[in-house]
Amino acid sequence: MKPICFYKKSNTTPVKVKRILQIISPFTLVIIIIIFIWNIITHGSIQHPGKSSYQTKCAQCHGDNGEGIRVLIPPLLHSDFAKNNFDSIPCWLKNGISHKIMVNGVEYEQPMYGLDMDEVQIANVMNYLSKELLDTNCEINSIEVKAKLINCN
Amino acid sequence: MPVYGNKTVSPNGDSLDYTLPVFSYLDQDSNTVDVAAIQNKIFVAEFFFTSCPSICPKMQQQMLRFYEKYKDNSDVIILAFTIDPQRDSVGKLNTYAHKLKIETSKWHLLTGNKDSIYALAESFLVSAAEDADAPGGHIHSGNFVLVDAKQRLRGYYDGTNEESVTKLLDETDLLLQEK
Repeated sequence: MKPICFYKKSNTTPVKVKRILQIISPFTLVIIIIIFIWNIITHGSIQHPGKSSYQTKCAQCHGDNGEGIRVLIPPLLHSDFAKNNFDSIPCWLKNGISHKIMVNGVEYEQPMYGLDMDEVQIANVMNYLSKELLDTNCEINSIEVKAKLINCN
Repeated sequence: MPVYGNKTVSPNGDSLDYTLPVFSYLDQDSNTVDVAAIQNKIFVAEFFFTSCPSICPKMQQQMLRFYEKYKDNSDVIILAFTIDPQRDSVGKLNTYAHKLKIETSKWHLLTGNKDSIYALAESFLVSAAEDADAPGGHIHSGNFVLVDAKQRLRGYYDGTNEESVTKLLDETDLLLQEK
């Protein structure tokens, strides 16, 4: 019986593919450098890994720069509430917030809905938030996020 | 700029542009907004609901750009129809308007009979429907519809897209010149 094995020895790789790989491999480093430079050109700098999640998951309501919408949606930019409750953010992202909150002296009551994000996305977006919008040095990794998510109410 | 909707032919053979049907709803200050209120006004229409978790905040953020630009121009108004009138009472819309810090005379948040609002959405050629599976229980188009002073549909813009709303601002200026 044939063994079930995902990573087979490369002797099954078609000759054509082998040939292409042989041609490309010396240029791997060059390709990586090109992608690197391309990133700098298109984004102005190396994009923070949490930025794209921020834009698809958070910016919809909180704005591209975290400015919020008047007294309807609270800002994330320099939000004292987010700073003081940084540890609660994983659970907010998972379950939302349905009670009134006070952000920078203003009361907000629009409910926030839970988002479909995994622990890596949450960690990335929280680190982006911390660095770019809250201006703090809080950092969190996906293992810590996972531990927090288990303890959400 | 195009005129949307099917043309009809009058009894004496003239071709008539599609125009909106008459409607009458209550705004956030319990004022009646009907044909008289939109007489000779250019307006932009949107369909939303206050508890909408998905595209509405973004739409309102973009609509605020429109609001700020035409704040002092009495020829231009905004009509926002709730597609969740059971929950969005006049009082609820009033609170929402306060949170957006908008003036009623410029930006009417309208509520009324649900079936009538859904039928109105159809006459604006946009979609709105109840859907238990959708976030917030409703699905609707995020379109802004530009309507001229003769109640003809003149443009559709994606209310969640900044560039598209910039186009709306430009084309509203064009309509104002046309007026």
